[in-house]
Amino acid sequence: MRRGELEHGPRSEPHPHGVETAATPDSLSLSITVEADIMAACREARLLAERAGLDRTATYHVATAVAELATNLVRHAGGGRLSLRRLLTPPGVELIAEDRGPGITDLRLALSDGYSSAGSLGCGLPGVRRLMDTFSIRSAPGEGTRIEATKWIRP
Amino acid sequence: MNDSTLPRTLLEEDSETLIADWLERLRARWHQQGAPGDDPVILSVHLNSLHAALCDALNEPRTTPFALDPESRLARELGELVHHQTRQGASAEEVTDLVSALKPLLMKRMEPMLHADPAAALPLWLWLDEVFERLLGFTFAAFIETRERIITQQSLSLLELSTPVLRLWHQVLLLPLVGVVDTARARHFTERLLESVARYEALVTIIDVTGVPVLDTSVARHLMKTIDAARLLGTRIVMTGISPEGAQTLTKLGISFSEVTARASLRAGIAEALSLIGRRIAPLEQARP
Repeated sequence: MRRGELEHGPRSEPHPHGVETAATPDSLSLSITVEADIMAACREARLLAERAGLDRTATYHVATAVAELATNLVRHAGGGRLSLRRLLTPPGVELIAEDRGPGITDLRLALSDGYSSAGSLGCGLPGVRRLMDTFSIRSAPGEGTRIEATKWIRP
Repeated sequence: MNDSTLPRTLLEEDSETLIADWLERLRARWHQQGAPGDDPVILSVHLNSLHAALCDALNEPRTTPFALDPESRLARELGELVHHQTRQGASAEEVTDLVSALKPLLMKRMEPMLHADPAAALPLWLWLDEVFERLLGFTFAAFIETRERIITQQSLSLLELSTPVLRLWHQVLLLPLVGVVDTARARHFTERLLESVARYEALVTIIDVTGVPVLDTSVARHLMKTIDAARLLGTRIVMTGISPEGAQTLTKLGISFSEVTARASLRAGIAEALSLIGRRIAPLEQARP
C-alpha cells in the first residue's frame, strides 16, 4: 500500500505533461484551510485544466484564479471548499469557491481594483474576474461567500 | 486460578509457535492489502522482543485500568517497531495490524480456560481486551508522531535546499526561485538575500522566477516586498524568467512590476546586470590588444 509515499517531495516539475497514474477525476472538491492547501489546489487545478484541454495560457489563468480564490478562503474566510469541474458542453472548466466566513459587506468595493481589507495588493477578486470567462459572486455579511467562475475552451 | 498472575499457557508456553503464528497472520494481512511484505527475519526479531516485553508487562501486578507507562520496556519496544514500520512507509492499518494480529491468537489460547472456569476467566478476558485497546491507542499515537516528524523534517529540508543566493560576479547576485512561494519561504529567501546584498555590497541582483509555477497576487506581493527591501540596501533588481503566460496573467491581475527591470531570459538578465556595473561578456579575441 503506497509505500514510501511520504518520501516524495512536492512535484518539482510545474508542467507535468505525463499522465497521472493515480485516479484522474473530472471533478474534485478540496478543503482549503491553510497556506499549503493553496499550492495543492493550484497543482490540482493545473492538472485538471490540462486534462480538459485548455491551452497553456488558459491553464495558467485557471491555476492563478484558483490560487487567488484559495488565498481568499485562507485569509478572509478561515477556510472553505474549492471545487473544480470539467465541463463538456460547452467544453471548459468550472471553479466554485464556497465558505461560511464573515461574508463581504460591499461587493462592489471588493470587486474594484486596489481595494483590500487585509493589506494585500487588492487585485485578487477583480483579477479573477478578468482571468476567467464568466464570474459570479454571491455574498452577504454573516452568510459566507460563493463564487462561481468558468473558463471556456476556445475551439 | 490466582487472579493476579497471568496463566503461563497464554503467552509464555510454546512461545515459538505463538510468534510464528503472529508473524504469519501479519504477513498474510499485509499481503492481502497489497503491501510488499517486510523482511520476515527482521520482523520476527522485532516480534520476539515485543513478545518478551509483553510477557514482562502482563506479569506485573494487574492494574485496572491498564496503564501503559511510556518509559516501560513494552512501550519502548512497540514504539520502536512502529517507528521502523512507519519509516518504511507502512499505512496506519498495517501498523495497527502489528498489535491486532496478536489479539485473536491470545483469545484462542484462552478458549479452554473460558470453558473450564468461565467465572475466573472472564475478568481476565475483559482485562486483556482493555490491554489491547491501550496498545492499539499507543500504536496509533506512535504512528502519527513518526509521520509528523517526517513531515517536519521534509519541510525543513525543503526550505533549506530551495533558496540559495548565488554570487554571480563581483557585486552581482542571483536569486533563483524554484517552487512555490509561500509566506515561510518568502521570509526565508528575503532574509538570505538581504544578508548577501549587505555582505557583498551587491549593486545588482537578478531574481529569476523561471521555476515558480504560478505568479498570483500573493506571490507578486511577496516579491514586491523582497524587492523593496533589497532596494533599500542599494541594489538594483533585474527580474528574469517570467513566462509569456505568466506575463499575460500578471497584466490581467493588474500587477505591474513597473519599477523593476525585467528580461525574458536569465541570459538577457545577466547581460543587463553586467552592463549595469559597466562590464560585458566579450569574445577573447576582442579582449586582447
